[in-house]
Amino acid sequence: MREETEVIVVGAGPSGLSVGACLRSRGISFEILERSGEVGSSWRNHYERLHLHTVQRFSALPGMPWPAGTPTYPSRAQMVSYLDAYAGAFDLNPRFGEDVRSARRVDGGFVLRTEANEYHTRGLVVATGYNRVPNVPTWPGEASFGGPILHSSRYKNGDPWRGKRVLVVGAGNSGAEIALDLWEHGAKPALSVRGPVHVVPRDLTGVPSQISSLFLFSRLPPKVADAISLFALDRMLGDLTPYGFTRPKLGPISQVIVEKRIPLIDVGTLELVKQGQIDVVKDVRSFDPGEVHFVDGTTRPFDAVVLATGYRTGISEYFEDAEGWLDERGYPRYFGEPVPGAPGLFFIGFRNPLTGALHDIAIEAQRVADHLAGEKR
Amino acid sequence: MAELDHWHPVLFADELGRKPAHVRVCDRELVLFRASDGTATLGALADVCPHRGMRLSEGRVEGGRLVCPYHGWSFAPDGEGKSPATPAARPCADAFDVVERYGLVWIKRRGAEAAFPALDVSGYHLIGKTRQRAEAPLEVTLDNFIEVEHTPEVHALLGYPRERMAEVTCEVTSTETSVRVYNEGPQRALPRPLYTLLQIEPGDAFVDDWTTWFSPVYTVYDQYWLDPATGQRRPNALRIAIFFVPVTTGQTDIFALSYALAAPWDRYGLNAFAYLLTRAFVVMELRRDVALLGKLADKSPELRGRSLSRFDKPLGLARKRIETIYRGG
Repeated sequence: MREETEVIVVGAGPSGLSVGACLRSRGISFEILERSGEVGSSWRNHYERLHLHTVQRFSALPGMPWPAGTPTYPSRAQMVSYLDAYAGAFDLNPRFGEDVRSARRVDGGFVLRTEANEYHTRGLVVATGYNRVPNVPTWPGEASFGGPILHSSRYKNGDPWRGKRVLVVGAGNSGAEIALDLWEHGAKPALSVRGPVHVVPRDLTGVPSQISSLFLFSRLPPKVADAISLFALDRMLGDLTPYGFTRPKLGPISQVIVEKRIPLIDVGTLELVKQGQIDVVKDVRSFDPGEVHFVDGTTRPFDAVVLATGYRTGISEYFEDAEGWLDERGYPRYFGEPVPGAPGLFFIGFRNPLTGALHDIAIEAQRVADHLAGEKR
Repeated sequence: MAELDHWHPVLFADELGRKPAHVRVCDRELVLFRASDGTATLGALADVCPHRGMRLSEGRVEGGRLVCPYHGWSFAPDGEGKSPATPAARPCADAFDVVERYGLVWIKRRGAEAAFPALDVSGYHLIGKTRQRAEAPLEVTLDNFIEVEHTPEVHALLGYPRERMAEVTCEVTSTETSVRVYNEGPQRALPRPLYTLLQIEPGDAFVDDWTTWFSPVYTVYDQYWLDPATGQRRPNALRIAIFFVPVTTGQTDIFALSYALAAPWDRYGLNAFAYLLTRAFVVMELRRDVALLGKLADKSPELRGRSLSRFDKPLGLARKRIETIYRGG
């Protein structure tokens, strides 16, 4: 079926829903296309222990604060309820099961194809998020390992792994928290740290790191902010090199700005690493039956492996000729602003700035809606 | 599983300094020590030297090892021992798994595969930790903490007014591993300034919603207030986790961790003041509980033959789960 619409929003996560709410309040007609059957599908599928790393008061979507009784860091389940309530409050009714297989630019707009339908639209908002496609690296000998090797997107909790030796690959936020979750469920986890990484406690001397970032670090020159934060981290955490965490050359604040990499936000893993409860190991080199070889020449036996190796946006996999708008890692170069040479196109929710992704989405969504409203006139 | 197969809190982390510490848990005597080799390693051993029975807690820590004050034998956190006078000897002390979390030191039998107690306080703010000792067996101590019928008599602030106890609802639900109780009723009258501090109004409904788990035995309480007109929650709430740790068959330690939902920096720091008071209230109310438990005439855990009230259903459910899960049947 062929449809003509004013604006298409792809994705019904926090970004897509925010844009929908902002367009609704500006009286612009739109459709939200969602490949799954529910809003916030990434949030529904994340591991159970997950909480926001940012403070709820600075993580609300446009027009709806978090309900009374929400803790400072809402849980994954609370986030899902919030998104459900948000969609209800703004009467956003995404078309579910509409997986955009291809998108391309045509004169005066865009053409999107799902399995059943073809959409012609003047405005297109890409809100498919940075969790669209799991990154699944492979290693020699993997097939012979014998135990399960699963991506973190399929990890729910540590219950099935009690008493098991589990290798978690990747020391990002997911990897570190999954290692902690495994330990709490009575498994014996090891964390494979692949490169240098900054470790930042979620709360710096009792103050959420997001608040320090919002009101201090994001307002200082990056070099000064780096120096202050490294001074504080040294005193709070000490030298982490003996535990297997090496520090990147670039400071933690600069790294967010220059490399768009956020530090590892620690929610308790480090305390267990320091006590020798969770081992930190090097990057994986290869697999053999029941064991894993590491790049430093060591070998250890494991029963299972969890790949906390992140995701990619996968935009170029469905959007024709999108490369020019994307950086080398596949993230859009433009946020909440018109894309040069492609009027009507907007990207939202592909950033993870110091001040928090949801905080940023709320600001971007308003801007995107303003631009689309302006173009309408 | 047996009692010591579950993680038990036995000490506050700040009580364990450079000197080894003696603790008693489930009728076992243990020594805890902190390595002084620059790592964060902790050790937990049976508090008796395998050589001639000396208390290792009378000894000292050297580097990563605990040294017996009698003949200088030393032990690593995993129990591996060395005898200076007999290098060929391979003595071994009875070692336990030990970890420091939530500001407490926890132990369990070495290698037992128990999960660490689930405690979701992400986004809650710690207001205080306390330990009180009840002169009563585990079951009898727990009984006091899983019914609200005693609150008007025993407590000064917590719970419901005596004359309106009949209005208090008590919904009990259970799974194989947990018992949950939801109580809702009128908040008892409080001194006027407390309403402001707690951000509630006279006439609010008080909800005490808790779940008891049995590996180890602990209860997590969610306490909050509802606006009776709208049914909406008031801005603040408390989440209190209480761990029940048998010391001997007739004594139970109560470790309470209290958290608040409202951030201390909210209301221009007024919440920080509210925290101080709440922390003192929790200690006061727990002291009333343990004082009362010490005065029981009959401390037998046996429930048969007792007259029980509509609030006592959780007691039997807890008994069954203590037997099947905590003591392992």
